[in-house]
Parts: sequence; C-alpha cells; structure tokens
Amino acid sequence: MQSTTTQKPAGAVAAGTTPQAQSPRPANPNPPIPPEFEAGPIMKLDESGALALLKNPQSTYFQKAIACKRLAVIGRKASIEPLAALLGDPQLAHYGRFGLEPNPDAAAGKALRAALPGLKGRLLVGVIHTLGVRKDLKAVEALGKLMYDADPEVAQAASASLGSIGGPQAARMLQEGLTRTSVPVLPVVARAALLCAETLPDRKQSRELYEQLTGNGMPRVVRQAAFRVLNNAARA
Amino acid sequence: MKDKNGTISRRTFGRRGAGAVIAAPMIVASSVLGRAKSQAVGQAAGSAAPAAQPLGRPGTVAPSDRIILGGIGLRSRGLGNLKSTLPDPRVKFVAIADIRQSAREAVKSVVDQHYGNGDCVMYQDAGQLLAREDIEGVHIATSDRWHACMAVWAAQSGKDIYCEKPAAVSIAESFALAENVRRYGVIYQAGCQRRNVPNFELAVGLARRGILGKLHTVHADDWGRTETALGHSWWPEEKPEPDPQVLNWDGWLGPCPWRPYHSAYPDRGRGQFWDFHAGILEWASHTADLCQWAADCDHTHAIRYEPKPGTSHVYCAYANGVKLVLRGDGWLDLGTCRVRFEGSEGWIETGDTGKMEMSDNLRKYWQPVNMRGTDPVLHIQDWLDCIRSRMQPRANAESTCNAHVTSHCAYIACQLGRKVTWDPARRAFPGDEEANRMRSRAYREPWRLDALATSM
Repeated sequence: MQSTTTQKPAGAVAAGTTPQAQSPRPANPNPPIPPEFEAGPIMKLDESGALALLKNPQSTYFQKAIACKRLAVIGRKASIEPLAALLGDPQLAHYGRFGLEPNPDAAAGKALRAALPGLKGRLLVGVIHTLGVRKDLKAVEALGKLMYDADPEVAQAASASLGSIGGPQAARMLQEGLTRTSVPVLPVVARAALLCAETLPDRKQSRELYEQLTGNGMPRVVRQAAFRVLNNAARA
Repeated sequence: MKDKNGTISRRTFGRRGAGAVIAAPMIVASSVLGRAKSQAVGQAAGSAAPAAQPLGRPGTVAPSDRIILGGIGLRSRGLGNLKSTLPDPRVKFVAIADIRQSAREAVKSVVDQHYGNGDCVMYQDAGQLLAREDIEGVHIATSDRWHACMAVWAAQSGKDIYCEKPAAVSIAESFALAENVRRYGVIYQAGCQRRNVPNFELAVGLARRGILGKLHTVHADDWGRTETALGHSWWPEEKPEPDPQVLNWDGWLGPCPWRPYHSAYPDRGRGQFWDFHAGILEWASHTADLCQWAADCDHTHAIRYEPKPGTSHVYCAYANGVKLVLRGDGWLDLGTCRVRFEGSEGWIETGDTGKMEMSDNLRKYWQPVNMRGTDPVLHIQDWLDCIRSRMQPRANAESTCNAHVTSHCAYIACQLGRKVTWDPARRAFPGDEEANRMRSRAYREPWRLDALATSM
C-alpha cells in the first residue's frame, strides 16, 4: 500500500466551509427564557447553596425542582432528609426521588423505605420504583407485601421492583406471586420473574423459575422467552 | 444501473443491493463489514448482511404472510420512515398511536390513502396498540425522551422494533434497551440508517479490512452539541393546557420531570432541553456509532474521555488503542453527519451528501453514490428482512447500546468539564461518584424501566 500523499489533517478546513455554514441550523425561533426560569445559576450551586434553596419557604416550585436536580449529582448525607421530605408532595415528589435515586449513601435507601407506609397511589409507586432501581435488598420484605396491595399500580410496581432487585428471596416471592396474582398484576409479576431468574446464583432455582414461566397461564411473550432460555441451556 | 450522469440512483441501488453498487474495483462486500462482531444476540458469524442480499421483491405476498406493523409517535421523521415502509409488499400497516391528535390523523390519512381504505386504527394510548396480538412490529419515532422507555415496552410486548435515534437518553437506558431486546428475543433496529448507506458502508469497510493500514483515529461529527442549548431552564408557563384529546401534555412528558406546559415544547423544545434530549447524541448516535463499527468496537465502549475546553471537541480512546475524536468543526464540505477514519496507510472522510474525500492511494475505491445519508429505505428493508430471518440487523440493540454508552460518557465528560475514565466491564466510572450519578435519570411515576441495568 502506498503511503498517503494528500492527507489533510483533521481540523483543516477551508474558510467558509465550517459545519455551521453547512448544517441545517434553523434560526432560533424560541421564546426567551425569563430570569425566574433560568436554571444555570442553580446548577452551579454547591450542596449547601442548593439545600438552602430547597429549604427556603420563599423558593419557587422551579427553584426547588432544579435544586433537586443539582443535588442528584452533588448531594450527600445532608441532602437526604430534605429530599425525602418531598416524597409526599404531589408536585415535587418526583424531583425528590430524582435527587435521592442516584445518591449512594445507605441513608437514602433508609429514607425511601421509611416513606413507604405513609404514601399511597402514584407517589407510592414512584418510591417503589426508585427502590427497585437502587436494588435495595432491605426493601424486599416490604415489596413482597405490596405485591398484593389492593391498588394494582402499586402491586405492579412492587412486583417489577422485586424483579429489578433480584436474588433468591425476591425470586421466591415472585414465584409465589405467579400463583396468587391475576391480571392486571400477573403479567408484571411474570416479567419481573423473568428478570429475576437471571440474577439467581443457584441454577436449580433459576431453572425452576423458568419452567414455572413456561406454564399455560403465563403471558405468551414471557413463555416464549422462558422457553428460549431453557432450550438454549439444553443445547449448551 | 447508472443514470445518464453515471451515478447510481437510490432506486437502482435498492434493487441490486449494496454489494452490486460498490463493485469492482471495490473489494468491500457488505459481508465483511463487521456484522459478525456485532452479533452478540446470536447471529451466525459470517452471514451475509441483509443489505447485500437481493432485496427480492417477490411481486406478491400472501396476506397471511405480511408483516403486520403499527406506529407510535410518527410525525416528520417517523412519517418519512412510514412512507419508506408502505411500498414494501411484505408489510401491512394497521394502526397508529400518538398523544397528538393531528399526528394520529396525518398518519391515518397517509396509510388509508395508500391502501385505499379506512382501516388504519388510531390510538392515543400506545399501550392499547402494543396489546394487540396481531401487530408484529412497530415503528417508534416519538421524541427522544420516550425512545428507550417505549422500545422496552414494545420488547416486553413481543414486538419487533424500528426506533428512531437517539435510542436512549442515558447510559442506564442504553443498557436496559439492549437487555430487554435480548431477553424477549425481538428484532431491534435503531434509526442509525447510515449503516445501510453505501458511502458510509464503503468508508467503514475500508477501515475494517485494513485498507487504511493500522487504524489509529476515527472522527465523529458531534454538530457542536456538547451542551444542550437551554439545559435545565424552562419556558414561561402557558395556560390553559391543551385538551388531552388534542395533545396530552402528561403523555408528552412521559418519564421526564414535570414542567408547566408551553406550546413551544411540543414543536420546538424537543432538542433544546436536557430533560427531553441527550445533547451530543443528536448526531453522535449516528457518527460515533459508525466510528465504533469502523474501529471494530461494536461490542464495547471507549474508556477515556477528555473534553477540550472552549470547543466542541472530546478526545476519547478505546482499549484497542484507536482514538475517537468527537468534534463539530474542521470538517470537509461533505454534508452533515460526517465521519473520518485515519490509518497508517490512508484516510477517508464522508458525509450525508454521499461525497467522499480520501487519500490518493484509495481513489480506486471511489464510486459515486446518489443516496443521501438521511435516506432510511435500505435500513428499513434490512429491518424487515431480519424480522423474517430472525437475524440481527445492522443497527441492532447491542451495537446501538454500546455506541450510545460511548456517546453518553463523552457527554458526561463535557457536562462535568473534565476527564472521565470508564470501565466497560463494571459499567461504571471507577472512583468517580459524580460521573456515576449521571448514568441514569429517575423516571417520573408511573413509568419505569424493568431492567437489571438500572442501578448498574
């Protein structure tokens, strides 16, 4: 192969051929951002500044919401209680979870678990989901009970989070749930069990779960997925 | 067949297949373009790429053999995808779901006009469409914030999926997407259609086959979108909210944090705000994806990322030694979404016009291509082929996930304004809590991602 003779260095481009000139950048037709909805300064605050904004009764909804977003990245132990205080607020609960969910401090999990008994409906659903995302093993017992909650959205959320958390205890609960729940919760329990089966270190328990998922009462899509795993295992 | 100007038309290209277009002295057949490496979901290595197969319009397809499709959130780009799909005799499109009445009606009009009937069913709730057992596959072209969530939902419903890019607005979503597609055994094609556009295929083929020598640097056009224009700010509240039958604001927001309604969001705010978008992935989901393919890194992610202050440049490195440069300037005049591959023996740069520039020693490989990088027709045919064959398409969930993870890591480095290091095996930034917290975004209730990847 010949060596390159006309290689243009990356970055070399003739004047007037900038990508800005070539790209379909539309003229900016956007409405202006009013100062009270400008997030930049809040997203530069340190933890104490964001917390002060969050705790100040005079702060607007916008300021509190963006402070939660900021604390999602920089919040430490001191942020947990103020964020958890929002979990029952219909308007700010999601922003509170937004701040808590990625916080690796165990106290965040404790605060989320502590909030469970006091919440209902979608606010409870949200906290259950966050516990699932955090893979909070200490929440398994409570979620196992919520799988039979009278509110189907809560029962579905608890089932799904058990699947995301995984492990033998969650698997046993989901196996039982497969026999004790019905539509509209059962399909979610089945999907959660399918997820959970991948986390089991004990092959026997994993196989039992997959076999249960191939049963006649299971959703077609889950049955097919379970059969696929069992067939592949048989081939291996 | 060439036209009077000696170029190859898209129509002819489609009929003859990619291999025919880039014929002698082109030695880069589609089958060598790296499909085997990206076959993590089980395709036999060495199989011919769908685009290299005769596209084989059989003329007639029995109604019972047709692929029954639905659509979710098809507006401008999605409507284009639909119009590229409807002429395929293997397809029967039966339903549209959209939270926007005008979009539902526009799609129904196009579909009903195509079939000469009034059968296309409209839904506001995508869940009703996904619950239909007769629908085998779905086109998803919602706004970005919905892509991964909707695709996971579709996978769990057993539907094959063609989903517009960016496929995921976070690292966690990227993994969740690939995980669910694998778990449910569905066929997923991301709308990274340049994987099935001949000039990009040629460039990738030259890199992968060693024609460029030892590949050392790949460049991806990031359109300068290393920051999201309006970030976390809001537009002023506009009251009243629209009638939910006309535009369901809560449904439009989906898993994103709630904010007050402003009519500009649905039409102009999609790519302006961090909540709804993924910044650098507007183009990196195409161009970094092509770079990973070229660099034989479809199965992994770059491990080091360094943004250059004051520019749109991010310098990244793969474990195999290849460097990835994301940048929005310094490109040749080749159209949008440009990529450039540099090796010890030559270089090639191409973009959406179909034009290519290359080192002199590579000019024998050049062929004119009259197909724009934005044209999805071959990519959609690839997806339909794979629905039938159950092979993996070019932009499958695994390669898409990996390219998205690389792009998200670069975006996180830009947002933090500093170097970050990524461990692909641990799916984490080792010892970097701040960056690790940016791997996911908490979903608004009642939405969730059923995935083991969520907490990584």
